[in-house]
Amino acid sequence: MKKVLFAIAFAFFALTGYQAFAQEPELNPERKQAIDSLALEKVRDLSKYVKLIGSKNTPWSEANRVIDRAEELFAPDAEIGVSSLSKTKVEYYKVRKYLERLMRLNYDRVEIDWYKIQYVSDLQRQPDGTYVGVITIFQTFKGYDAEGRLVYQDTTKKDITVYVKRKETQIGGKLIGFWDVLLGDMRVKETTHK
Amino acid sequence: MFKHLKSIIIIAMVALVTICGATSCKSSGKMTKKEYKAKVEQATKDLNAILDGTTEWSLEEQQARVNEIKQVDFSKKNPEIMEMIDRAEAKIAREIAERDRLAEEQRLAEEQRLRELEEQNKPKTGLTEYFNMIANAKDVNTANGYIRDALKMFESPDAVVLILLNNYGDYDRPTTAQNYLNYIKDQKKVSVIVNDVIYNSDNKIKQLELKKK
Repeated sequence: MKKVLFAIAFAFFALTGYQAFAQEPELNPERKQAIDSLALEKVRDLSKYVKLIGSKNTPWSEANRVIDRAEELFAPDAEIGVSSLSKTKVEYYKVRKYLERLMRLNYDRVEIDWYKIQYVSDLQRQPDGTYVGVITIFQTFKGYDAEGRLVYQDTTKKDITVYVKRKETQIGGKLIGFWDVLLGDMRVKETTHK
Repeated sequence: MFKHLKSIIIIAMVALVTICGATSCKSSGKMTKKEYKAKVEQATKDLNAILDGTTEWSLEEQQARVNEIKQVDFSKKNPEIMEMIDRAEAKIAREIAERDRLAEEQRLAEEQRLRELEEQNKPKTGLTEYFNMIANAKDVNTANGYIRDALKMFESPDAVVLILLNNYGDYDRPTTAQNYLNYIKDQKKVSVIVNDVIYNSDNKIKQLELKKK
């Protein structure tokens, strides 16, 4: 009987606690705009990191440091899709594996550019308070050989799921509320010549 | 002989008149007893005021008054005034020295305050300059040099850096000084302003708060 009462009490508090959290007021437009921009900025940051990691001009130590920074942008276990014009199947790699492969690509010069970085699905508040959205990007990839000839080129459209969650931490005795942006899987939507 | 006697008498009379005249001039510079008594009273009154600290004269005015009193020779009839003069002079000298010491202390404190103010303001400007220098560095090595220099302003490379997103207390994920400076290098842009700086006792940055432009 005691166990049953405990279970009921636990369920009650869990439910009311959850509801209290879920009933937190929606962010006002200015705050919402701030986290929309923040998530978009993280993807733009990633585009710079990808460019640096892929570049053969980036020193080894710098590329490794940038890999660490880029990896921190992603949620644990997130995956990144890799496509090729010569393959129909899209391969998915864990973020670190993908970035390390990117650093070692078998070209003498690599150019990677991201553009049209924008939301395809706006950040929506989930019942647990996390905001989830999808940002799409277009990536042009160009690989050159030792003679400077362009030997491979494609454009890939990718969708990145973004998670934005409010967290708190104590810093110098002060409670700081921050928005933690984590990127989820990066899915290949289409790959074309150009 | 009579003629000579007459001349001698005239000379003697001239000499007498001259001597008498001179003596009478000298006599007019001397004080009468009444005047001397008044001088003693005034000197005693002024010296007491100086010694008791009840005078409103400045220290320089007090010293001038003591010098004036010293012009009269009180040593024979009023040796107590001479003793008061000595004490008054010692007191004035002590007070002038103390005043000068306090003024010097105040000056040094003010100098220190201005130096500290300058130091506190300097890193803010310096940081913004470093941010721009790192973002616009011509290559990685140059940027790393600027980062090394900028890090000297911080308590440690792990000093906390907060980035305020808006006026609602929303922050980005906290980072460290080293990571943020490298972020600027990687992204080649500065999209923040320095909002607040917390220093440790060595005037090194313990915590930096930036704000999105």
